Amino acid sequence: MDCTKAREMIQDHIDGRLPPDAARAVREHLGACRACAAEEEELRRVGDMLRLWSAVQVGERELALSPLWTRVRAGIEERKEPGLARLLRRWFWVPVAAIVAVVALLFYPSDGARVPFHPKSFDVTVESLESDTATVALVDKGKGLPRVIWIIENGKT
Amino acid sequence: MGRPDSHPGRRLTAIAFIGLLLIAQIAVASPDAQVAIDVGVVVASQDGPTIDPELSSIRNQLQSMFNYSSYRMIDRLKRTLSVDETGEFGLPGDRSMRVTPVPAKGNKVRLAVQIMEGERNLLTTTLGLSRGGMVIVGGPSYRKGVLILIISAE
Repeated sequence: MDCTKAREMIQDHIDGRLPPDAARAVREHLGACRACAAEEEELRRVGDMLRLWSAVQVGERELALSPLWTRVRAGIEERKEPGLARLLRRWFWVPVAAIVAVVALLFYPSDGARVPFHPKSFDVTVESLESDTATVALVDKGKGLPRVIWIIENGKT
Repeated sequence: MGRPDSHPGRRLTAIAFIGLLLIAQIAVASPDAQVAIDVGVVVASQDGPTIDPELSSIRNQLQSMFNYSSYRMIDRLKRTLSVDETGEFGLPGDRSMRVTPVPAKGNKVRLAVQIMEGERNLLTTTLGLSRGGMVIVGGPSYRKGVLILIISAE
């Protein structure tokens, strides 16, 4: 076997794709030809490096795929959950929001301070009435009108 | 056989809402012992024909009772008090009013009211009102007019 023929077959020999007779012939040539043996060695080293690089690439891609896989797996797990648990988890926020709304309505400081007066009744009983420093009078102008307690401060009013 | 409920969450929400509203209703309605005091601090004077919008609902009563042309509300004070709890309301002109709900029967509210000017006791009275009733206390001078306190209890 000459060098040209041997070099055509070296890669297939490395890959183990040659029939046994051809592989033996190549091995014999490589044993006798230092240049072809060096070529074979070089090709093997390149092959090793390519395999190493490929392994690194696959590892990186696996990292990128990991979150996607996590989501897919979570979806599968969710499908496996019992119906009630899934519903509770899905609708949990609704009663919580309702509670928050009611509590807010209960405790919100409404500015009813500026609502006009709407008395239901002017019916008032004055049980006692006294003053140490003024004259006080109870004014009753009849039904439909409020009763008025008037403080007369030493002739001022 | 009934059709399966396609939105059980909504039913759950509706039940939760109704329950909470009932609780809220009970929480608001149950403290019968509490009295909401609402005091409108009004300055009545002859200083122009103005009447505060908050007094629009009792405009006729005010005009029938008094002879002033202007009714200006300068403050509105609200407190919710328990029976025997005293609430202090600051009034203009170094005056103050202390209101204490006292035990009452039925739908009635009894209020012990004391109005002070500094250390001077201007008025001490005990009033019995229906819930939602109103009484007016007035007379102390203030600037160019007089002070009128519109007191209602719910």
